Amino acid sequence: MQRKGSPFTGLASVAMKEAADHMTSPRMHLVMLLILLTALGSIYGALGEIKSTVSEDPFIFLRLLTTAKQPLPSFVTFLGFLLPLIGIALAFDGINGEYSRRTMSRILSQPIYRDALLAGKFLGGLLVIGICLVTLWLLITGMGILMLGLPPSGEEILRGLTFLLVSLAYAGVWLAISLFFSTVFKSPATAALAGLTLWMVFTLFWGMIAPLAASGIAPADPFNQMSIIHQAEVGQAIARISPNTLFNEATIAILNPQTRSLGLVFAYQMERAVMGMPLPFGQSALLIWPELSGLLAAMVVVYTAAYVTFQRQEIRA
Amino acid sequence: MVRFHRMTLAATAAGVLLAGANSSFADNMKPQGLWLTTDYPAITESIGQEATLSINLANSEEPPQRVEFSVRDLPSGWTWELQGSGKPISAAYAMPDDTAHLQLKVTPPKDIKPGQYNFTLQGNTENGTMLTLPIEMTMAEGKPASLSLEAKLPALRGTPKSSFDYDLTIKNESENDTTLNLLANAPDGFQTTFKEQYGNQELASLPLKAGESKTVKLSVKPPADVAAGDYKVAVAAANADMNAKTGLLLQLTGQPNLALSTKDGRLSGQAEAGKEQVFDYTVSNSGSAPAQDIKLSASAPSGWKVEMDPKTIDQLAPGSDQQVAVHMTPTDKAIAGDYMVTVNARGDGLSDSSNFRVTVTTSTLWGIAGLGIIGSALMVLALAVTRYGRR
Repeated sequence: MQRKGSPFTGLASVAMKEAADHMTSPRMHLVMLLILLTALGSIYGALGEIKSTVSEDPFIFLRLLTTAKQPLPSFVTFLGFLLPLIGIALAFDGINGEYSRRTMSRILSQPIYRDALLAGKFLGGLLVIGICLVTLWLLITGMGILMLGLPPSGEEILRGLTFLLVSLAYAGVWLAISLFFSTVFKSPATAALAGLTLWMVFTLFWGMIAPLAASGIAPADPFNQMSIIHQAEVGQAIARISPNTLFNEATIAILNPQTRSLGLVFAYQMERAVMGMPLPFGQSALLIWPELSGLLAAMVVVYTAAYVTFQRQEIRA
Repeated sequence: MVRFHRMTLAATAAGVLLAGANSSFADNMKPQGLWLTTDYPAITESIGQEATLSINLANSEEPPQRVEFSVRDLPSGWTWELQGSGKPISAAYAMPDDTAHLQLKVTPPKDIKPGQYNFTLQGNTENGTMLTLPIEMTMAEGKPASLSLEAKLPALRGTPKSSFDYDLTIKNESENDTTLNLLANAPDGFQTTFKEQYGNQELASLPLKAGESKTVKLSVKPPADVAAGDYKVAVAAANADMNAKTGLLLQLTGQPNLALSTKDGRLSGQAEAGKEQVFDYTVSNSGSAPAQDIKLSASAPSGWKVEMDPKTIDQLAPGSDQQVAVHMTPTDKAIAGDYMVTVNARGDGLSDSSNFRVTVTTSTLWGIAGLGIIGSALMVLALAVTRYGRR
């Protein structure tokens, strides 16, 4: 079964069409409105908090994203919560929707491969999320310039862009998960529910499940220091299965330049350390690279699972 | 009367102390009347001084009486004044069984000749009684004004950093109270301060009563860069009439001074975790004597390897410096960020240290591992595409 021509023929047109559909759909408008409102609320709160508490900070534009004002959480926390929702919303009926509208065979009668259809749907969704994130970031930076009267520094822009990349990878993981569910389940509602369930598990319950599982796998002996450390390490490893944990760790390290380490730190490692000094951007990037590569790899692997499922489906049914 | 009886009984019972019984008897029979007395009716004063005599006006069992005072037979040119409770008076009341204390001030002219001068203080009561008090005053030549100034330890030895404190005893051997100016003449750049012996107040002048002696402290602070050698300081205490001088000696010995710095003055640098990095330091002697046996060491976070090349410097001449290479290897488990390393140079009583901030960077090896993970995920995708790609 040697295929003829590039599997990517028509990929661009499918992706652009998909993106255009998303951009005009009321579903996307609603989700964007939600995100915009939370962004405005949390940034406005952060601005007030910064004006009243921070006297001098070289990374004030990063503080805009991470500062929380009660009762609202910070913008980054909101994104960690809402980005999966966009990913799920954009792709839960990606494949099964085409079946239920009976448009799948019509599309595939065009001279494009199935590969291009799935990749196009995925890239189209990713493109839309990317546009949203860039717009949001520009909006926030503009608000910051207006309200604070300062331009962002080069390093702040670099860190902001890295943060966008991390967010995009995180949203991509959820987009891929949602796309996978839409190929597995015939009904869009089931796919959406499955996505939402997984989202709930990872955002809300994973923080409880991880230590519980760790104490089961590596029981800690209170008289043995090493076993306690081992349990903490196992717990952290399990917690890092959740894309949420990866996203949170990566944003903390990139948006708080003072962060030196994301894992366990022993007292001797902090001896004579100059606390509170920001790491250079390169070192922060090196710190989050495992998290970022984990997110990217997870995105690719889940997409591959969706791809394999989709390729093995009978589409004329 | 009760007391008398008791005393008599005591005397008879003991059979002794007859004299005591007699004096009690006399005390009881004290004289009646008015008296004008003074402690020293014949005194000698030096020329140029005014004389003050204390006068007592005593009244014993007489009614209160007003007494008017005057001075008779006072030589020409002399003036007098009578004072009671510090105020000039011309009359006083003598109360029964009481004594009024008065002061008679007599001022002879400045150009008086030595010799004996007599005059009488006279008190007239209202009922015509006249009280007289003749006074003999001998005027003598005063002693010449003199002052002595002495240092307890006139020669001190030390380094330019030590403090030189000289105790100076000043004695006013004249008969007049005086205020002295304190002066010190030191070489250029030396700071001199007069202080109280036990205190920090700086003195400019010193009041001294006649015959009194006081000890003051002279602190001399040599300039830091002064060469070794002997330095003299002249001290004087003087007023318009008299002065006293003495000489002090400072023996300054040289002192080495260590300074530690990096070659280009930067006190920060970068090092990768687990890799050796060399920083160039300079040890210099900015003092005035050679520094001996200097040891170099460093305090670094645990697990770090810090080596000095050389570890010791045997001798460093004044004004010269020595390069030291500091080899730092952060532990391979070091977390990225800034750390403080303190580099010390120590040599017989001297030390200098400098804090060096090392920014530790971590290896990019794990970055390549992350790339490998993404690469293998893409490989899986590529395999899936080749396996499941359809026509």
